Amino acid sequence: MRISRNLVQAFRGLRLNKGNTFLMTLGIMIGIASLTVIVAIGEGTKSKVLSRIASLGFGPESFSVYSGAGRLFFGRNRNVTSMTLQDADDIRAMPEVAIVVPRQRKRMRIINKKEFTSTRVYGVSPEWQPARQWKVVDGTFFNDMDMERKRKVIVLGATPAYNLFGEKDPIGKKIRVGQVFFEVIGLLKKKGLTESGYDPDNRALIPLTTSMSRLFRQAHLHSMKVVSIHPEMVQKTMEGVTQILRRNHGLSSLADDDFRFVTPEGIMQWVTESEQALNRMLFLVSTVSLLVGGVVIMNILLVSIRERIREIGVRRCFGARRSDITQQFLFESILVSLLGGLMGAILGWTLSTALRHFDFLPVKITLDPFLLAFIFSMIVGLIFGIYPARKAALLSPDETIR
Amino acid sequence: MTTLKVIEVNSIIKTYKSEGLETNVLKGISIAIDEGDYVSIIGPSGSGKSTLMTILGCLGQATSGTYLLDKEEVGQLSDRELSRIRNEKIGFVFQAFHLLPGVSAFDNVMIPLIYCSKTPKDAKERVERALIRVGLEHRMNHTPGQLSGGEQQRVTIARSLINDPKIILADEPTGNLDSKNGIEIMATFDNLNEEGRTIIIITHDSVVSEHARRILTLRDGQIASDRINENFKKPRAGFSRVATQ
Repeated sequence: MRISRNLVQAFRGLRLNKGNTFLMTLGIMIGIASLTVIVAIGEGTKSKVLSRIASLGFGPESFSVYSGAGRLFFGRNRNVTSMTLQDADDIRAMPEVAIVVPRQRKRMRIINKKEFTSTRVYGVSPEWQPARQWKVVDGTFFNDMDMERKRKVIVLGATPAYNLFGEKDPIGKKIRVGQVFFEVIGLLKKKGLTESGYDPDNRALIPLTTSMSRLFRQAHLHSMKVVSIHPEMVQKTMEGVTQILRRNHGLSSLADDDFRFVTPEGIMQWVTESEQALNRMLFLVSTVSLLVGGVVIMNILLVSIRERIREIGVRRCFGARRSDITQQFLFESILVSLLGGLMGAILGWTLSTALRHFDFLPVKITLDPFLLAFIFSMIVGLIFGIYPARKAALLSPDETIR
Repeated sequence: MTTLKVIEVNSIIKTYKSEGLETNVLKGISIAIDEGDYVSIIGPSGSGKSTLMTILGCLGQATSGTYLLDKEEVGQLSDRELSRIRNEKIGFVFQAFHLLPGVSAFDNVMIPLIYCSKTPKDAKERVERALIRVGLEHRMNHTPGQLSGGEQQRVTIARSLINDPKIILADEPTGNLDSKNGIEIMATFDNLNEEGRTIIIITHDSVVSEHARRILTLRDGQIASDRINENFKKPRAGFSRVATQ
């Protein structure tokens, strides 16, 4: 009963001291807003990476080998040219290997009359389709004959097909990739944008031999996808691949690998590590921002107490106990923190939505940061309110009233 | 006829210590005040009037001596108990009014009721009655800034009355008022005393002190004189003799 009356007085105190209330709210608001935005960006990045992994089409029995040393998708040197078709042939000869898809890749502009678009052009072998299990909805995929004859044929993903031809059927049409004309022979089934905005349909496929001799004019490979005969054979296969590549590339026993593996486990491990690092950073940023908010509240509350010393005196004169004064100022601190938390959450949500709308950063809005904002702001209000509230309560009544 | 002693102060000493320096503000004061009495305490600046008021009002403790308020030894009480006594037994009226700014007259008068262990059911009615009692029924929703000095002081009187206290303790109640408002406020105190309420006024204004039945003069922390006011309008029998020291 007495507590509820002190709560009412705290509301009144905040209402009557709007300036201080605003300043206190501001501190927490900024802290909570930054916390919610950072969490949203963190979640967005995570979901982008995960959907990217999903779109890579990994099964438990497959992995990729990329040219150049490094880790996962991050090569240390972009201009490594050691991986060749010979490597792919040698790997294909291994008994543990079911399929090998050697790949070349380049982002290029493709043109249909006045329409043009930029897309990732892959030179791959015909095994690409069974390895990726990606259906062709119109026309056909290129075959061994196309490979052998280095035919200038192209299979389009849904995105470049739409950009160049709209709703029209592209099969049989000629398009230009760089300076070379290709005939469209197939259209890949549309997969659609991933949650994070990655577009797996933005690609075009040509025979590897054509890309080597007619388009990219380079002999080395960008990467290979290797499908093992059984998921349990993956480790053994990777060991065999390592041996073949080191031997073929003439690496001494002291030299580092000039290739790197990308496996589902490797990616998951990397995601977990990144997530942990991100969480640590989040914890640090949110702690600092909330500490700042809390210190702001504490300082302004201390100033406010000096300004309202008469009020404290009057309340004490007319029967307020020390606990009443403590409660009132503690409630003020908690209320102002909650208000700041609420406003911060709204601001954070607005900023996150704007970031997503304008596509600045990958953002995923979840409920968690808003619940955290509520809990954290209450804790901050409580902790940083205790000192000023006790200080107010311990003022002697005769000193406050003089 | 015997009357109850609402205040009994014996050999009160108050010493302030500051930077190793001791200042004796009250040097052994003894007073007894009967219930229903009308007392003014006068004295020049630095005589210890305000310190005496803080002790009588249970806002501060004496360094030594005893203080019985309505038969309760105040010196032995905890802060919580002192708060209860201030809430139930004492009504304060201040020179500077000490009304909460931005809060309506109604809510200012309500303050003592916030800290009752049990808020009376008829709180609203009591506040309205108190404001009507001081003639401010038409100003209930006005904030202090919208009220004149005299009106503000009447709000503080209404606030002091709200819990029906044993004593009204007024510190220079006319100090911030013009003479017309001062006369009105003193008339209010006179009326309250006629109704049987104990009133203690601390002042340095001899005109104000002349409203009281009994006048105590303080000088250098001691009671210099304690006399019955010959000019008191309605002297009543049965008031106590005074012990001075």
